[in-house]
Amino acid sequence: MTSLAGPVESAPLMGQVVGKSPRQLAWERFRHDRAALAGLLVIVLLVLISIFAGVIGKYLAGHGPNDLFQREMTDEFGLPLGPNSDFWFGADTAGRDLFVRVLYGARTSLLIALAATGIAVFIGVVLGTAAGYFRGVADTIVSRVTDVILALPLLLLAIGIAAACGTTKEGCLNGAIEPGLSLVVFIIALFSWPYIARIVRGNVLSIREKEFIESARSLGAGNVRIMFREVLPNLIAPIIVYSTLLIPSNILFEAALSFLGLGVPQETPSWGRMLSDAAGVFDVAWWLMLFPGLFLVATTLAFNLVGDGLRDALDPRSGR
Amino acid sequence: MRHWRALAIVVVALGLAVGAAACGGDDGGEATPDTTATEPATTGEEPATTEEEPATTEEEPSPEGPQAGGTYRVDWEETFGFTGGFDPVGEYLGEAFGIQSGLLVRTLIGYRHTAGSAGNELIPDLATDLGTISDDGLTYTYTLKDGIKFGPPLSREITSQDVAYAFERIGTESLVAQYGFYYTVIEGMSEFMAGEADTISGITTPDDKTIAFKLTAPTGDFPFRLAMPAAGPAPREVAGCFTEAGAYGRYLISSGPYMFEGSDALDASSCDTLEPIAGFDPNTSMTLVRNPDYDPATDTPEARENFVDRFEFKINSNPDDIFNKIKAGEIEDAVASEPPKVIREYTENEELTPLLHINAGDRTWYITLNLTQPPFDDIHVRKAANLVMDKEGLRRAWGGPTAGEIATHIIPDAMLNETLADYDPYPSEGYAGDVAAAMEEMKLSKYDTDKDGICDAPECKDVLYVTEADRLRQDMQPPTSASFEKIGITLKVRSVEGAYPVIQDVSKNVPASGRPGWGKDYADASTFMVLFDSRSTLPTGNINYSLVGLTPEQAAKVKASGTVEGIPSVDADIDACNVIPVGDERVQCWADLDKKLMEEVVPWIPYLDATATQITGPTVTKWDFDQFSGTIAYAHVAVAQ
Amino acid sequence: MAAYIVRRLVWVIVVLLAVTMITFAIFYLLPTGDPAVRFAGKSPTPQVLEEVRRQFGLDKPWYAQYWHFLSDLTTGDKYGWPGLGFSFDTRIPVREELLERAPRTLSLAFGAAIVWLTLGVTIGIVSALRRGTLLDRAAMGFALFGVSAPVFWLGLMALWLFAETGGGPDWLHFLPGTGYVPFSESPSEWFTHLIMPWVVLALLYAAFYARMTRGNLLETMGEDYIRTARAKGLTERRVVFKHGLRASLTPIVTMFGMDIALLVGGAVITETVFNIQGLGAWAVRATFNQDLPAVVAVVVVSAFAVAIMNLLVDIVYAWLDPRVRYQ
Repeated sequence: MTSLAGPVESAPLMGQVVGKSPRQLAWERFRHDRAALAGLLVIVLLVLISIFAGVIGKYLAGHGPNDLFQREMTDEFGLPLGPNSDFWFGADTAGRDLFVRVLYGARTSLLIALAATGIAVFIGVVLGTAAGYFRGVADTIVSRVTDVILALPLLLLAIGIAAACGTTKEGCLNGAIEPGLSLVVFIIALFSWPYIARIVRGNVLSIREKEFIESARSLGAGNVRIMFREVLPNLIAPIIVYSTLLIPSNILFEAALSFLGLGVPQETPSWGRMLSDAAGVFDVAWWLMLFPGLFLVATTLAFNLVGDGLRDALDPRSGR
Repeated sequence: MRHWRALAIVVVALGLAVGAAACGGDDGGEATPDTTATEPATTGEEPATTEEEPATTEEEPSPEGPQAGGTYRVDWEETFGFTGGFDPVGEYLGEAFGIQSGLLVRTLIGYRHTAGSAGNELIPDLATDLGTISDDGLTYTYTLKDGIKFGPPLSREITSQDVAYAFERIGTESLVAQYGFYYTVIEGMSEFMAGEADTISGITTPDDKTIAFKLTAPTGDFPFRLAMPAAGPAPREVAGCFTEAGAYGRYLISSGPYMFEGSDALDASSCDTLEPIAGFDPNTSMTLVRNPDYDPATDTPEARENFVDRFEFKINSNPDDIFNKIKAGEIEDAVASEPPKVIREYTENEELTPLLHINAGDRTWYITLNLTQPPFDDIHVRKAANLVMDKEGLRRAWGGPTAGEIATHIIPDAMLNETLADYDPYPSEGYAGDVAAAMEEMKLSKYDTDKDGICDAPECKDVLYVTEADRLRQDMQPPTSASFEKIGITLKVRSVEGAYPVIQDVSKNVPASGRPGWGKDYADASTFMVLFDSRSTLPTGNINYSLVGLTPEQAAKVKASGTVEGIPSVDADIDACNVIPVGDERVQCWADLDKKLMEEVVPWIPYLDATATQITGPTVTKWDFDQFSGTIAYAHVAVAQ
Repeated sequence: MAAYIVRRLVWVIVVLLAVTMITFAIFYLLPTGDPAVRFAGKSPTPQVLEEVRRQFGLDKPWYAQYWHFLSDLTTGDKYGWPGLGFSFDTRIPVREELLERAPRTLSLAFGAAIVWLTLGVTIGIVSALRRGTLLDRAAMGFALFGVSAPVFWLGLMALWLFAETGGGPDWLHFLPGTGYVPFSESPSEWFTHLIMPWVVLALLYAAFYARMTRGNLLETMGEDYIRTARAKGLTERRVVFKHGLRASLTPIVTMFGMDIALLVGGAVITETVFNIQGLGAWAVRATFNQDLPAVVAVVVVSAFAVAIMNLLVDIVYAWLDPRVRYQ
């Protein structure tokens, strides 16, 4: 196994999952994992925040994410002012309410990470299953493609694509890729599916040798039927675990792209972009660095805790 | 911060007589250095201006004044930003002009390299005087001084053929000269450029000391063009070895008081033995040392005092790091944009205030509106956009009043002798934008179908707006978008790294952009008006972003689509002003054209008449600003180490 | 063994070809703009643009350019071997620039690697041997934080807290700010400037390595041959270090090689935050500037590092774990 050191400099993925176990047993184990439960709670909170960001912002702060308070919340040099009773987290460099923007940032982060992870998992499962099940040419192609992708300086190419597709009104490839959220999702998915494909392929390789596959085949089941009815259900556990662990990695990927100025459009609140703004002024505006950072770390931490918990629950041999 | 502008008025007023004489160049006499003209520009009373002692500029440094010697260290933010590998024909930005004009490339006529209007006037440099002009205004003749030499390894006398050779280089296509268009007025230049002639018929060198230029039309500002670094002498035996753009930059032979360190090690015996000079690595550093072949007697302290022994220019990508080093005295100066927090610190801390220098930048920053693209193909929308724009909000993103005055028209006030200082066709309280007036204007537009002052046509939704992905433009964007929204225009913002190539590509049909700014090439408003000349419109690399004056035929040629009928043109006005010799009348002509553009064409939303700010370290004992290049006056700085 | 290495080397070449081709494709099929326009200045005539394109080789179709690139790369160009052309941005040979920046990135990557390997493996071993104790929990808590915190945030926080120029409490400011000082100029400055980047970059990997080491060690200690070793009466210490560790470190070696190699072109963010003008920061700027030769150079070097490391790792793998046989 080669490194699963995630997208460059962001969180690596964790170990290896093989087994499967009855759902109830797993839930039983998960229920007693206090760290994982805490993580789950944080995730639920974040989901609520991202759904109700507008309401919370309006009710608690009375501001929208793009409302400008330049005259009130920046000084005459255009530098942002810190937290006060109206602006709990202070203002960003443009004079917008950082508290409200941090709340909306949760929405951006979750939306992108979930969408990108979903696409990556879909591609990874399809290609990984095909490679592991059919072996031969299919396997060679998929394995080599993943090898090559994993040998690329991903962040660089991501920047290249982001820079290229973000320029024109239409995006690139004749408008297939719109600049903005969808471009970011596309890039992240493009570079994260190989991880899933590798894991799925490995699992399928071992499953296809099992007796129940043989018996299904001897009963005359076709390839498609075997894959959907027999192979895939056995993959659900590792897929869930790795998807959960891929989410924080993709959240950090988005943040890294935004940090480099290539993520979501600038009016869209993003934690990575807020930290990027902070990079120039953090010594005079600590709030700009602290609050988005804390939310970002809390989010990735929560997903990692849940992912760990799920893995332990679904595969008790994996460590603890 | 009205102070610097008030000072500038005095400066311009005092310098006017000298300026007219120098630029007109008709008396053939050397412009007398007028110390009263320099003084106001460099007064110490306003802490935010340069605080040199004008009295010492014409004498040897006194013991208590600035001392000779030491190293002047300058960090450059991110990159040198050279446009042509430092080959003089390929450089088109002030930062390179400053080094070349001040230290490395002397020209027939040059500048004092000082702040204010005195720095915008021409004085003789390699030539004995400002030249003689024939009665028909078509022939300019110059005589070279004795004792002027190229630096090592050539160390030989500079001849008129070396100056003529510079123009051959400008006309050599493969060298990609950046402002060759300034010289097409020389007879035979166009033919030479097109490869139809082997020599430039309009440039003659009757002997080693004399050079004459014959023009095809009277051109009042021609002497300014001779003072640009591309027109400086080039030695054929070295420069001629390089036929690709930018390559000569690493082998530049000096004609000025300094040279690349290691120039003497260059083996110029043949083209094959040339190796890049050690003192210049375009990606990291440039080191300059004194040129032993430079004779101060051929120069004047007014133009160059040459205090320091050595210049060290280094690239540093972190502005925080740069300004920390300046504060700590680890470096003297920087070519970098000061972050607002640094400006704030230097403004509020009285001990540091004298180290902050603010000068007129002769540069306007603006939002460009494309006359062919809806909704900006409607003049009422363009006027409404001017009225509604929160210019004060934009300036705050730039770091507040230190960044400059709010611009209310196109040409910087200092370049129009302040004749338009009180002119504001789209006024608003505190420059915050006049929403009511903007809505009134919008009602006149075809895009406001229900005439309520809010644009409701689909053309006003998701209007593409290209801007740079840097921090400054990010901070500018919220007030920009918010302003447009007040009249119903919603922007679809594209932030890209390198927005210029995008908006310079006509076929991309970018309706508006917040990226552009324009600075003078030399102190004549004509260098702004090229932006509105339809004849200079190009398919790519186009600088007439607004496509002013575009005819349907031109539109087809440059691949412009959209509304290409009935675009107002100012080509005739530009031509009319251009024939007027430099002086009050010429300035007035440009000022009138500026007003016409702002009221009848409205191609821009100008918002900032920018200053040039500079922060120096505690070791700097003398500092000046070079008004010509808009950067450090390297030839006048001194350091105590 | 020799045949195996040859086979792997062929694979290295295939990867390099694929990687360069992908890079070319990205920059040609998805053009941001014309690099020639950038270079030709404010107001170039079409003739001048044509000329610049010719000088850059951009007037030929992409496959011709790719072929030209390949032949230069293998046989060298006028600037030496390997031929990487000149930068569209500065016109200086890319090779020169590469050699100048490589020490910065290598200083960062190898220094950080030493930190994370030492820290990660030690924590992992201690945690595994003291399984379930408070120490174990604390160590694993740290590890989880490490994998969850973004490098750029940790970097900013570190600068705020510890850098001379930071905004945090003064008594903590005992390290210099951002930037890089070459070792040849001042070894001590080189070291102090790199401490923060090393630790920040290493934290992420240390956390990961600690978890891996712990997990692997626990798994290995349950294997039959360890039980056999124990049964033979070896001391626990000897069992762990002689037998257990050897097998459980094998995957770590694999990862270590790959991680270091990926950092050659991939320490972009650390280099950005701490202003270390290494390969990553250079490549990012080149990307923004459409400076294709520079981008391709970094991608090639980086992919080459990955491929070679892969090969080395496989060899070391065999040496560490006698169960592995070459197919």
